[in-house]
Amino acid sequence: MSDVMVDVRDVQKSFLSNRSGAASLKTLLLWWERKKKLETIEVLKGVSFQVHKGECLALIGRNGAGKSTLLALVARVYKPNGGTVQTFGRVAPLLELGAGFHPDLSGTENVLFNAMMLGLSRKQARERVDKIVEFSEIGPHINAPVRTYSSGMQARLGFAVAVNVDADILIVDEVLAVGDLAFEKKCIEYMEGFKAAGGAILFVSHNMDSVQRFADRAIWLEDGVAVADGKPADVIPKYRDTLLAPRG
Amino acid sequence: MREELRELWRYRELLWAMVERELRIRYKNSVLGFFWSLVNPLATVLVITVVFKYVMQNGTENYSAYVLAAYLPFIFFQICLMDSAQSVLQAVPIIRKVYFPREILPLCTVFANFIHLLMALAVYFLYLFVLWAVTGFETSPFTWTIGFLPFLLVVNLALATGMSFLISAYNVFYEDVKYVIGVALYLMFFLTPVMYFSDTVYYAAQSRGMIWLYYLYHLNPVAMLSTAYRKTLVPTGKIEVVPEPGKAPQQIYMLEFDWALFWVTVATSFLLLVVGYHVFNRLKWRFVERP
Repeated sequence: MSDVMVDVRDVQKSFLSNRSGAASLKTLLLWWERKKKLETIEVLKGVSFQVHKGECLALIGRNGAGKSTLLALVARVYKPNGGTVQTFGRVAPLLELGAGFHPDLSGTENVLFNAMMLGLSRKQARERVDKIVEFSEIGPHINAPVRTYSSGMQARLGFAVAVNVDADILIVDEVLAVGDLAFEKKCIEYMEGFKAAGGAILFVSHNMDSVQRFADRAIWLEDGVAVADGKPADVIPKYRDTLLAPRG
Repeated sequence: MREELRELWRYRELLWAMVERELRIRYKNSVLGFFWSLVNPLATVLVITVVFKYVMQNGTENYSAYVLAAYLPFIFFQICLMDSAQSVLQAVPIIRKVYFPREILPLCTVFANFIHLLMALAVYFLYLFVLWAVTGFETSPFTWTIGFLPFLLVVNLALATGMSFLISAYNVFYEDVKYVIGVALYLMFFLTPVMYFSDTVYYAAQSRGMIWLYYLYHLNPVAMLSTAYRKTLVPTGKIEVVPEPGKAPQQIYMLEFDWALFWVTVATSFLLLVVGYHVFNRLKWRFVERP
């Protein structure tokens, strides 16, 4: 058995952009308007990589380089226009902590629901509620509606759910900066343990210190193409140089 | 399509949890809970009954029982379609972040509303029982035709689901869809035998030598289902209609159930379900990319 957890091959993704913003039947009926207003933006132009067991891969690059799109493709939110994305094992996407929380429901109810959304059965979700609540350190507030939570509390709860669903692959999009220092430390400890236990992590960050410290490998994306792939110590300086140099 | 269904089956528990959540949210902050959802149909039926009994002078006994029998399913259909228009659109921020079969979103709306319909029908049977026990209404809630009700509900569910798939998917890209549906449903109400009897349509069409109009009228699956619900729930009561124009109204039994027309509706409903699901699956990956 190979130890590949994420296999991305020559992935291409383009989006249609509509300059007028509004989608309406008018644009459907007036086809000449449609042609005028829609243009295709190629976000990813053929990217390939693999993430192995116990490896942490960081994606770095400018805003709009396609990093988040790539994560979303691995999380199966998008379908690629070309190429293939394969994942082996359960994926826990942390693209946004607490995505799908309902403001009027209590923390516990949201935990149950979110855990099921990430792929647990009802029974499994019930069994883990206590563990998740404990991990989140929210305490007695857990029975209050989520709308009364601070953004930090919501993020903590979201993270607690995502890390307790027995994922094999963790996808993290710059979301760990919301909690306080103590919680951040806890998250990092968790992720180190996760890696040691054979999980694969794919993350996006603009914080080069955490990439340096955390990642085993880094890929630098520029305009939808991977321009460098290797040890963070080698890739980061190259990226830094172009970032500081004038573009073009 | 088989693969999509298998994937949906894998996520069935999430669907039930979502239906449960939907029902809980709806009544979280109101004490009377479920009974609020009955206020609208009951008030509507009360007004219709008063108008048709006293203003239009229709002498049918227990008019309200006939109106309710058709109106409860109609309002289920109506709310299903209106809610499903928003179901995917509202969830776009979530489905941008998490994967689960997108079909769950409209299905959740349909099932939550279907559970409402079942609860409303339970109250309806209670009402029928009171009418039967107290006023001596000819139809008891224990007629054998009730056995037909589950089949009718399944057909109704298929129709509502198919339409919800179509509407929820297209409304993501063209938000005008929900306004078009709103107007269409409003007009549909008048073309559905809720306030009046489909028998009236029959006699009016027959006396003018245009009986085909009656069949055309019943090609609309919602109209046919309303007629079928009435034949199922209140089969034995006499209704007051005017069989020939210009003559006095008569108290007669409802027309025989037209099975041929009903099978057309069954076919239409399941065809819409398949087409709706197919269209939804074709569009669902583009929901998150809506321009």
